[in-house]
Amino acid sequence: MDRREFLKYSGLLAAAGMSPELLLAAEGKMPEKIVVFVELKGGNDGFNTLVPYKDPNYIAARKNIRVTERVALPLGVQDMAMHPRLAGLHKIWGTGEMAWIQGIGYPGGVLSHFRSMDIIETGSHSEQVLENGWLSHIVPGYKQGLHGISVSNDGGSLGPLNSSRLNSVSMQSPRTFVSQSKIIKDITPVSSTPALAHLTNTQHQLFEVGNQLRAKMSRSLRQKKTTRSKGVLGHSLESVAQMIIAGIDSPVYKVTQSGFDTHSGQVGRHNNVLYQLDHGLSRFIHTMKQNGLWNKVVIVSYSEFGRRLGENKGGGTDHGTASAQFVMGGGIRGGIYGDAPDLTRLDSNGNVAHTTDYRQVYATLAHRVWRQPNNPWQGHRHIPFI
Amino acid sequence: MGKLGLFRARHLVSRTSIGAEWETIQRYKNLTLLDAIKHTLSYADYNLPPQPRTSPWAKTISNRKSMARQRNMQRMAKTEGKGLQNWWVNHMLTTKTPFLERMTLFWHNHFPSTIDQTKQPSALFEQNVTQRRHALGNYGNLLFAMAKDPAMLIYLDGYKNVKENPNENFARELLELFTLGGTNYYRENDIKEAARAFTGWGIDDRTGKFRFYPERHDGGIKTFMGNRGNLTGDDVLMILMKHPRTAETIAEKMWNEFISSSKPNAAYTRRWAKHFRDSNYDIKALLVAVLSSDAFWDPKNMGALIKSPVELTIGTMRALPYRLRKNNLSHNLSIMGQSLFAHGSVKGWSGGNDWISTQSLMRRTGLLTNLTRGNLRKANDSKMMQHMPDCSDEELITWLLPVPPLNPLPTQPGRQRLVRALVLDPAYQVS
Repeated sequence: MDRREFLKYSGLLAAAGMSPELLLAAEGKMPEKIVVFVELKGGNDGFNTLVPYKDPNYIAARKNIRVTERVALPLGVQDMAMHPRLAGLHKIWGTGEMAWIQGIGYPGGVLSHFRSMDIIETGSHSEQVLENGWLSHIVPGYKQGLHGISVSNDGGSLGPLNSSRLNSVSMQSPRTFVSQSKIIKDITPVSSTPALAHLTNTQHQLFEVGNQLRAKMSRSLRQKKTTRSKGVLGHSLESVAQMIIAGIDSPVYKVTQSGFDTHSGQVGRHNNVLYQLDHGLSRFIHTMKQNGLWNKVVIVSYSEFGRRLGENKGGGTDHGTASAQFVMGGGIRGGIYGDAPDLTRLDSNGNVAHTTDYRQVYATLAHRVWRQPNNPWQGHRHIPFI
Repeated sequence: MGKLGLFRARHLVSRTSIGAEWETIQRYKNLTLLDAIKHTLSYADYNLPPQPRTSPWAKTISNRKSMARQRNMQRMAKTEGKGLQNWWVNHMLTTKTPFLERMTLFWHNHFPSTIDQTKQPSALFEQNVTQRRHALGNYGNLLFAMAKDPAMLIYLDGYKNVKENPNENFARELLELFTLGGTNYYRENDIKEAARAFTGWGIDDRTGKFRFYPERHDGGIKTFMGNRGNLTGDDVLMILMKHPRTAETIAEKMWNEFISSSKPNAAYTRRWAKHFRDSNYDIKALLVAVLSSDAFWDPKNMGALIKSPVELTIGTMRALPYRLRKNNLSHNLSIMGQSLFAHGSVKGWSGGNDWISTQSLMRRTGLLTNLTRGNLRKANDSKMMQHMPDCSDEELITWLLPVPPLNPLPTQPGRQRLVRALVLDPAYQVS
C-alpha cells in the first residue's frame, strides 16, 4: 500500500462533539461547591489514623506501633481518637466541621495496590473492570466546561478525573502551567486512532485551560510568593487555593500524598506523612477561611485500602481492607459515621470486614453536593455528613 | 514476496528502533518483510561503554545496617544513580543496535527496580546487563535470573524474606505483574505459600551476588496453585512457567509495545502466547509472530502508539541532527515521566496513552520546540542540511510522520522550516 491509498483509508476526521465542549473558558464562574480530593497513596492505616485507642483488641494486636492513650487526641465519642500528628485537623473536629467515616471498604477487598486503586477510582465492585474515573458519571451533568484539576509534583495521575468524557487537566502548579502552556497551539480533536484522539483532546484542553488560567491568574501569579507551605502536598494545596481564589471554574481538585505503604518501620514513616497531611490541609483551610470560601469547600480523603490490624515483625503493617476516611468543610456535619469494624472477627489474612461501602460516599456526594440523584450508586445508602 | 518500500520500512523501523533513522529505512525498503524482521532481530551488539562508577554491595552493607548512616546511603545512591542514568541514556543515544536497547528498556519496565528504593546503583547496573543479556533470549531464563537478581531482591524485600517472618512483597508482584497478570488467577493464599517457598533467598555479604541461606528457608509443606510439597522458590517459578497466563501476560504487553495503545486484542495475544509457549518461551519467536502479524501492519494501527519519552527525545536526536546536553537529557526524560531506574511503582510506567497528560504534553512540546530552534530565516542551514536526507518533501513527510500532518504545512519554503513544522506536529508524537 502506498501513502496515497493510506491517506484515503485512514481519513483523519475531525470528530466534532467527540469530547465535551469546553465553554469559552474565561467566562466560567466559580462553582457553587468545590470538592478537593486528597489521595493517600499506598494504603493508609485506618487504625492508627482514627484510633480505637481503648479497644483491648487494638491494644493487643499492636504491641509496638499503636497510638497510646497518652498521645492520642480523643474525639470525645465512641472512645475514638485521632493520631497525634493530626493536631491541626483535630481543631477542625472541635468546630464540628469534620466527619470521620469508619470501616470504609468494599466486598471482596483486593489487596493489590493497583487493582484496588482502580476499583476505588472508577467506582467498580471487586470483580468489575471499568475504564472511566467515577466522576465522569457525575460532574458532566453538574456543569459544562472544565471539570477538574489534578495537582501533583509529577503532574501524574488524574485518578477519579481520568476519562475522555471529562475536561480534566493535570499540572504541577498554575505558575508552571501558565508559563509552559504558552507554546501550545489549539487543535481540533481527531479520532483516527485512540492514541491520536487522546493526544489531540489533551492538547485542546491544555490550550483552553491555559487561556483561562492566564486570563484570571496572571496578576496573582505575578505577586511575590508569600508561601509558608512545606512538602509536596503543602505546595499542591497552595496551588489549589490560588486557583479557587482566582475563580477558576473547576468544581473538583485532586491532590496526592504518597508514602502510606508502611510495611516496615511504620511509626516514623506514618508520623511523617500524617504530619504532611495535617500541615498542608491546615494551611489550606486557614486560607479558605480568610477568603470567606470555607463554606464552599468539601475536602474528601481516599486511599486504596487500609492495613492489617496486627502489626508484623518489621514494625509495620501489611495490606488490609477497611479503613477510615474523612470529609471536611464549612458545610459539613461533623461526627463519626458508619460502624466501627469488628476487631474480633478477622478473615484468614487477619483483616477486618468493612462496614461502610466506599460507594456510599460517592452516592452522597453525587446527590447532595452535585444534585445528581440519578447516578450509578443511587442504590447505596447516603451518609448524612452533608 | 515484494519489497517493503519506504512507507512500510519506516513503520517497522520507527517501532523497533529508537527513532526512525533514514539510513536504516533505506536499507530495509529493498528487503522483504520477513528479511527485514530477521535483520532487526539478529543485529545485536552486546558491547557496552565503560561502566559507571558505583560502590559495591560489600562497601554499602555496613551503611545499610546503620540507622545513622542512612543519609550517606541516600546521597551516594543519588549521585551514583545519576551516573547510571546518564550511562544508559548515552548508550541509547549512540548504540548501533537500538532494537536491543529498546527490548532492554521493555524488560526494565517489566522487571523494574529503582535507585530510590534499592539505594544500590551497582546492583541496578548488573540488573541492566542481565536484562540486556536475556532481552532477545528466553523468558524462562530471564524470569529465573530476575528472581535471583540482587537489585530485585532488595527492591521487593526478597532478601528480608526469612522463615520466621515471611515477606510477601516479591511473591505478590511475581504473580500479579511478572507472570499471571492481574488478580484473577490466584488466591491470597498462593501468595503466602509462594513467599514461604522463597524464604532464604538472599545476597552474599562479600560478593553482592545471589546466595541461598538454607537456615533461613522454610522447609515445610506448601500448597501453591494446587501443587503440594516441600516447594522451593525454583519450584514456584517452574509452576508459573507451566501456566498459560504467563505467556499471555507477555503477549499482552507486546501488543501495547508494538501494536496499539488500545486494549490487547485477545484473538492475537492468545495466538502469540501459544506460539511463545510452544517455542519454550523463545522471545525472538514471539517477536517474529508480533512483527509479522497483520495487526502490526494494519493501517488502522499506524499512529496508534504514543511515543515514549525515550523514543521522543533520544529518537529525535538519533534521527535528526538536533542536539541537547546529555545530563539534560536524563532530566528531561524524568520530567516527561520516564525516569530510568526510577519508575513510580513496581508496575512500571503505565505508558500508552498515559504518556500524555496536560503536564507531560507541555514538557514534550517544550523539548521539541527547544531542540528544533534554529535560524529559520536561513532557508537551508548548510551544516544541518548535510545531515538531512536528500529526498523530496513528500518523502520527508512520510519519513517523519506515521499519519498525515494535523497542522497545515508552512507556506514558506525551506527544508529546515518544514522539518521543524513536522516535528512540532501532533502526529510526530505518535508512532
